[in-house]
Amino acid sequence: MRKRNRQAEADEAQIDLTPMLDVVFIMLIFFIVVATFLKEAGLDTNRPDSNQNPPETDATSIVVTITGDDQIWMENRRIDIRAVRANIARLLASDPEQGFSVKTEAGASNKTLAAVVDQAREAGINQVLWPSEKKQ
Amino acid sequence: MSRRGLSAGGRAQEGGDQGDIDLTPMLDVVFIMLIFFIVASTFVKEPGVDLTKSAADTTAPCLQGTIIFAVDSMGKIHYNKEKIPLDHAYRLAEAAKSETPKARFVIQADQEAPTLVVSELYDVVKPLMEGTLCYSTDFRE
Repeated sequence: MRKRNRQAEADEAQIDLTPMLDVVFIMLIFFIVVATFLKEAGLDTNRPDSNQNPPETDATSIVVTITGDDQIWMENRRIDIRAVRANIARLLASDPEQGFSVKTEAGASNKTLAAVVDQAREAGINQVLWPSEKKQ
Repeated sequence: MSRRGLSAGGRAQEGGDQGDIDLTPMLDVVFIMLIFFIVASTFVKEPGVDLTKSAADTTAPCLQGTIIFAVDSMGKIHYNKEKIPLDHAYRLAEAAKSETPKARFVIQADQEAPTLVVSELYDVVKPLMEGTLCYSTDFRE
């Protein structure tokens, strides 16, 4: 009481900022706690629209098929995962505008899919298409 | 500045209350921090499941990738710390998309997860997506 009177005498324009500071600090702490600096990273993949022609009718595109037992097939032969990049690079060299799609069959695992997409991107593919898996 | 000088002068004349500190610079800093955290915070619903993601050399950041679905090694779909059936995925994705229209979709898949589940999930959320799907991977060390 005495303090307030003295303050009022000395400086009438001064406002007590303490309640606002309390609120601001609580908001600050709330936002610090809530803030999640999420850095999700991965591979961009696209999917052709279902009303488009299936990519097998497109002659000028590279197609890699992953079978149900995680084998990788390209141009009617089975290839090793380490050879995917070289094969894609070779095909891409003949026509750099080619599309790329990776087909998966039921039973394939994500490890193989990610590896193939990764290799394709390393070979210089910009857009990876991953058509819907056909149900068996 | 001027206020401080004035009040300090006033105090000196008064001769009391020396413990009063000028809070203005601290307030400035606190406000700047507050605004930074408000702007920086994105409210992400994390799938809340521990996965072994595939490693890839060409892993790139998923900008605005804040709607996250996860597929565990058993092929179960997780969203917002809950296991969800495939039929619910569209509804949840739609709700998340209407909340933050700029957000993009991310699917985290365990490396042992079947691609069939991921593919079906992709089919379900595809109509809501403008761009590409971010297929979450770890950067290979």
